[in-house]
Amino acid sequence: MRVVIAEDLALLRDGLTRLLRDNDVEVVAAVADGTELVAAVEAHRPDVAIVDIRLPPTFHDEGLRAALEAREKVPTTAILIVSQYIEQTYTAELLAGGRAGVGYLLKDRIFNVAEFVSAVHRVAEGGTALDPEVVAQLFSRRRGSAIDELSEREREVLALMAEGKSNAAIADALVLTVGAVEKHIANIFTKLGLAPSGNDHRRVLAVLAYLSRPE
Amino acid sequence: MTDAPTPTATDPIAPATLRLAAALVGVIAGAIVVILTVIWFVTTRGYYWPIWVVLPLALVTAVVAWVAWVLSSPAERTWLSLGVTITGGIYAAVLGCLTGVWALTTRSYFWPIWPVLGLGAVWVVHAAVVRLLVPHSDMHDRIIALTSTRSAAIDAQEAELRRIERDLHDGAQARIVALGMTIGMAEQKLASDPEGARRLLAEARGGATEALDELRDLARGIRPPVLQDRGLAAAVSELALRSPLDVRVQADLPRLPPAVESAAYFVVAEALANAAKHGGPTHIAVRLATSGPDLVAEVTDDGRGGANPNGAGLTGLRHRVEALDGRLFVVSPPGGPTVIRADIPFRS
Repeated sequence: MRVVIAEDLALLRDGLTRLLRDNDVEVVAAVADGTELVAAVEAHRPDVAIVDIRLPPTFHDEGLRAALEAREKVPTTAILIVSQYIEQTYTAELLAGGRAGVGYLLKDRIFNVAEFVSAVHRVAEGGTALDPEVVAQLFSRRRGSAIDELSEREREVLALMAEGKSNAAIADALVLTVGAVEKHIANIFTKLGLAPSGNDHRRVLAVLAYLSRPE
Repeated sequence: MTDAPTPTATDPIAPATLRLAAALVGVIAGAIVVILTVIWFVTTRGYYWPIWVVLPLALVTAVVAWVAWVLSSPAERTWLSLGVTITGGIYAAVLGCLTGVWALTTRSYFWPIWPVLGLGAVWVVHAAVVRLLVPHSDMHDRIIALTSTRSAAIDAQEAELRRIERDLHDGAQARIVALGMTIGMAEQKLASDPEGARRLLAEARGGATEALDELRDLARGIRPPVLQDRGLAAAVSELALRSPLDVRVQADLPRLPPAVESAAYFVVAEALANAAKHGGPTHIAVRLATSGPDLVAEVTDDGRGGANPNGAGLTGLRHRVEALDGRLFVVSPPGGPTVIRADIPFRS
């Protein structure tokens, strides 16, 4: 798998490059600002662009802008945004249009190397990887809606689904059988009034669309 | 808002409204005069008796126009000083009217001299009392100065907070993220490559120390601990020791309010940093003393000179010092020497 990294702090750029290479991910380019990112994506056509949301010159959201622009130019590129903070507005923008192959993670997630690398793979294959913090924020926005009708267990399953995890991964995390997970998901979809959809990625998008719907 | 009452400057009342009022009065007065003149023309047509209505109407119109003009002019004034101006105008109008009466009647002995002297005296006393009770121009200047130093202080604080946030993000936070990555990798390798894991953990240990150093530097940039614990003289002595240049410190100070000590400390710190960066000096002298109500912090270096008093660092210092009602002086002719001095009042 081939990735491009965009991160302005050399310490982190080098650390991330080393971490990925150590885990059999090829880093074809490591750049320090948005313009270079777009150019690198066009030149190398990587599977994923891993981008810090804050890049020069204003350190606001240049990373997100550049990543979206790069995806306009090379639509097969998946985007994984990393940040030191989570901002809800960016989540909405990233998920807009229901495109899969997106991720939004806090830099903390990188500390668990195996999980981070699997998230990178998941995003590259067209799945999603949302930080549990992001999902928690989406949940809290929907308080007082049908989410409250879900049981504790169902909410846990929904959260892990929203993070982009597969049935198997959810079963693993909650110590359930895959069959039990599938039953929970069917119930969730019924309670939320969502059409059941077979495709893993589609159903995540359905869940996220539901969660990020304005009140 | 503050407890002490502050005199407020007046806002000019909408000029259009005032002019409209004055115009209305003028029109009505004019209409009355015209009507009376027509009546006079049609009846007596001898002695122009309407003059006795014209005179008071002219007085009223003049007074209204005067008040309208004064209130609509954009100059900032307090109500007290406006009062002086307006009554002055009214007295003048009244005296003009009386002179008109004199011109139309006796015309021998200028009896209006008495009201002139009387009203004149009243007005002079009024103006003097206002000026004495309320040193109006001083207070006014002070308000303007305070407003501007306050907004400069707010801007400086904003810039400072942004700087701190960036330093935290790029410095300590980044180091801790790098630390986390290194430890995560070590964890991964523990079984398969223990030697590699050990090397990574050693690296992580170094990273932790660096993160702490970043945080210490940041704290010192905000409020140096030694300043808090032992005061300005001790903190400046430490600056002198840490500087690569030859710095002599002469200090004769009691403990002063923390904001004053902090501002003086940063003046000295910036001056030393500038000298080290640009001037190429060999000797720097720092003098800290009290002079009357002020703390004086003076840094003299024998370097090349040519410091820009409007550079970012010195401007920030100036705002900091002026926010405390102090003054910053920068004397730096090309060829040197450079003297940077802050006078900051420390008695509240």
